[in-house]
Amino acid sequence: MKFYVYCLAEKIDAPPSIRGISGARVDVITVEDWPLFVSEFEGDAAPPVTRENVLAHDAVVRSMLSETTPLPFRFGTVQTQSQLVSYMRTHRAALAAKLAQIRGCVEMNVKIISPADTTGLITTSEPDEQGPGARFLKEKQRELLGSEQRAKEAREVATWLEAQVEPFARQEQVSLCPTEKLIVAAAHLIAREQVTKYRDHLASARNLRPELHFLVSGPWPPYTFSNIELEFKTRFGVS
Amino acid sequence: MTSPFDQVLIQSDVEQLEQADLSLLETLDHVLNRGLVIAGEITIAVADVDLVFLGLNVLLSSVETANEVLRKRE
Repeated sequence: MKFYVYCLAEKIDAPPSIRGISGARVDVITVEDWPLFVSEFEGDAAPPVTRENVLAHDAVVRSMLSETTPLPFRFGTVQTQSQLVSYMRTHRAALAAKLAQIRGCVEMNVKIISPADTTGLITTSEPDEQGPGARFLKEKQRELLGSEQRAKEAREVATWLEAQVEPFARQEQVSLCPTEKLIVAAAHLIAREQVTKYRDHLASARNLRPELHFLVSGPWPPYTFSNIELEFKTRFGVS
Repeated sequence: MTSPFDQVLIQSDVEQLEQADLSLLETLDHVLNRGLVIAGEITIAVADVDLVFLGLNVLLSSVETANEVLRKRE
């Protein structure tokens, strides 16, 4: 028998009354003393990515957020009992450390968009007299300078944001310029009792930067701070 | 890898999106791209992808996620 796995937690009193992916019942099984939220799963392939399945996965993880902080598995985790036992046994120390790290916390996200147009940094003095090669090089120069300008702006905004949330964030993960419009995407691990203060502080802080557009979301289960494999790879410089 | 949120930002104006759309995008981003991974054990069905978000084109990320995982398994 296989299990679709939603999350791991330190303490779970009872499974949620809601249904999981594909309408399946959600159970709690204990593997190596760890309670896991799972659904019995038929077949070899993982469940298809549908709106209903994605929302069901999140709903199950989120259902325990009011009682404890779960360690969410990524969508599509299907394992046999023996595979789960093997995984939990071999990763026991890392999982325990991770659970201790996120204990009592939730994840908050901040995405910052800068409408600043950096494509017009260089003006071409005699555009009509340039050949196609010169125009190409000018365009490349404009793109490079624009990218440098955006990267500089992103670093400045990320540093500013870090200073703003520093009193509240236990951990932070930041991406600079992940897209053309988005200059900073940050995830913050916040103690539950600090969430309101964090929100209020960010609301005040964003008034200081009216040129930026902020998207704040949460509280989330700590999806961004859950992956022990990723941390292993990062720590040892393996990609 | 581009997240669902990034895909939408590339292709549309985020300020014109409804709050419900943003919440959905964030949920997709978290559930599909983050969370604890048991290496090499996730397989997402690509052929049966339900294109419920065709308008926002966000499931590109799901396909990319699936392809990346499949490549790693090979």
